[in-house]
Amino acid sequence: MPSEPTAAAASTNGALSPTMDVAVKIWRVDPETGERALKTYEVEAPEWVTLLDVLDIIKDRVDGTLAYRKSCRMMICGSCGMRMDGAAVLACKTRMADIVAAGHVPVISPMGNLPIVKDLVVDMGPFWSKMRAMKPWLQPGYEEPPEGKEYHVSQERMNVIHKEALCINCGCCVSECNSMESDPDFLGPAALAKGMRFVGDARDGADVERLEEYNSEHGIWDCTRCYFCNERCPKGVDPRDAIAKLGAESIKHGIDRDMGAKHAKWFVKSAETTGWLRETELVPKTQGVVSSIMQIKFAMGLARRGKVPPPFPPHVAADVKEARALRDIVQQQGREGALGHVQGERALSYIEHHTTAGNRHAPEITPGEEPVNRDVGERP
Amino acid sequence: MSAATNGTALRKVAYYKGCLASLSAKELDTSTRALAPKVGLELDELESVTCCGAGDIHEAEPDYYLHLNARILAYGEATGSDTLMTVCNVCTLNLRQANHMLQNDEALLARVNANLEAVGVPPYSGAIEVKHLLWLIAEGEGYELLKQAAHKGLKGLRVAPFYGCQILRPSKLLGFEDPDRPWSLEAIIEACGGEVVDYPAKIKCCGFPIIQAREETALRELMQPIAQARDAGADAMVTPCPLCHLSLDAWQSKLNASERRENPRHEDFHMPILHLSQLIGVAAGLEASELKFKRHVVSVKPVLEKLEA
Repeated sequence: MPSEPTAAAASTNGALSPTMDVAVKIWRVDPETGERALKTYEVEAPEWVTLLDVLDIIKDRVDGTLAYRKSCRMMICGSCGMRMDGAAVLACKTRMADIVAAGHVPVISPMGNLPIVKDLVVDMGPFWSKMRAMKPWLQPGYEEPPEGKEYHVSQERMNVIHKEALCINCGCCVSECNSMESDPDFLGPAALAKGMRFVGDARDGADVERLEEYNSEHGIWDCTRCYFCNERCPKGVDPRDAIAKLGAESIKHGIDRDMGAKHAKWFVKSAETTGWLRETELVPKTQGVVSSIMQIKFAMGLARRGKVPPPFPPHVAADVKEARALRDIVQQQGREGALGHVQGERALSYIEHHTTAGNRHAPEITPGEEPVNRDVGERP
Repeated sequence: MSAATNGTALRKVAYYKGCLASLSAKELDTSTRALAPKVGLELDELESVTCCGAGDIHEAEPDYYLHLNARILAYGEATGSDTLMTVCNVCTLNLRQANHMLQNDEALLARVNANLEAVGVPPYSGAIEVKHLLWLIAEGEGYELLKQAAHKGLKGLRVAPFYGCQILRPSKLLGFEDPDRPWSLEAIIEACGGEVVDYPAKIKCCGFPIIQAREETALRELMQPIAQARDAGADAMVTPCPLCHLSLDAWQSKLNASERRENPRHEDFHMPILHLSQLIGVAAGLEASELKFKRHVVSVKPVLEKLEA
């Protein structure tokens, strides 16, 4: 039985922290009948609470039947993904003080794109089956280190998958994926980021086989680039960028049978020949001639409105030879595939990159010496 | 220096129009040019520039993407303006992303500059900011001028704003407004005397990036905003992105055909789709030859008739 709400938050609070009145609206879902109801809850809570703490207080004191997932409470386990005002968040990462101060009563609902089990709990089954489809384990094939020695992977090689390795499988990206809403079979941002984590791993020997599989009908080229995954990821994985890395790796390895890959390659061709997109030729170059002919009625409709610009004479950008020459230089410099994306991560990622991170040759202390806390100076 | 209608000096910006405004969406270019001086802008069009890669070169050959965009930024900077103006979401994200990379990584900027100089492009110092037309007129002086320019008004026309994706997300690179609660298009619709129609899918994807490779999936994405806007009583939709415009306007007939196949009682959509510059242009009294509504696939006539009534 749930206990009665108590007036003081002192039991969870300790005597010192000031408290606040927190109100939230929660979508309750009855698993038996499927009935949904939006219920308002008001509790007193310490000012430092997160959304997860608020749910705990509600469950302890107001309604013990409220269902949600949790475990670590510190953004590591990935259990407490849910939506606040329609946007996927980790409940344990979401502080409530500013929301309360603004007088806002947020609406809490389960994540999207996954079946609801009860209240805020979703069935992660489809999430895990897509994860399994990526074969998320090392498939050796690398050169074995000499007997008794370790296999050393350079920091540079690990940087390729640094962000992808941070994924905690919470599903916040999947919840918001616009392509998956329209194609539930899409492998999706979390699984594909996991795929890149293995394609880019220096110890994995199956990258080409993996890329072939990830280039399936519901794979890489299903991504609609809505960037909801990058926006929502609570760990800075940037799944969309991981998908772009997989696209770049596929094209580097000549895996370009998918219409999405052909579409992408036509932009490269356009840029280095005329500078501007050769728009009218994009359809046959992407879909092939037969499919394009079947669309001729649609195309004629567009042509009447000037939407099919004539390819001849081509619309050529001034000084396009510079763009051509740049491609030659870039190709010689060899930052092909995912490496082209990785070089930008220092500036783009939500997480910090430190050049000395993981450098075993820059120890903080010399063995035998007393450690010194450099940030605060000498000890008293 | 020329002046805006109220006598204020025009603000000169480097104008990168992108592929679509040069080709299938010429109406975006003509209406933008005609509107610019009315909202205080003097457009210095960049000539020696290419496609930004539209996310496709970014995916296929990321290092080439970076160099093509660095070249655009360098020519933008060479005009002496502090702002490079875009009229497309995809151009905006691609250019801002490249700019962010170059401005925050000295070693990368040095390598790219060496390559630019090797082919005769002026080096880029990192001093230009990429801004969409929408951002230049949604607040500040641009917004004040817009209110004066939109003297003909939209007479309570019910307009559904459609943002699309790459002007909002990732907010780390775009960051003009809250990606979940944007306000800029609404402010402009109201300044023009229109009535804002709100609906949840206004920040979602139109499906365009995969409309050729995955048409069925893309059309299901496209369905959401159009259906929600109609259900909410919109007379028209407005978008800051010519790719969203192509999807919403040119693919609307395909959406209707596909919906009819699934549901024989589907009521066809006839939703007029306006570019941002056209919506303001109507309120500001631009000429038909500048608005070029005849280039739209879905007729804009019902909107014009409602405004004349």
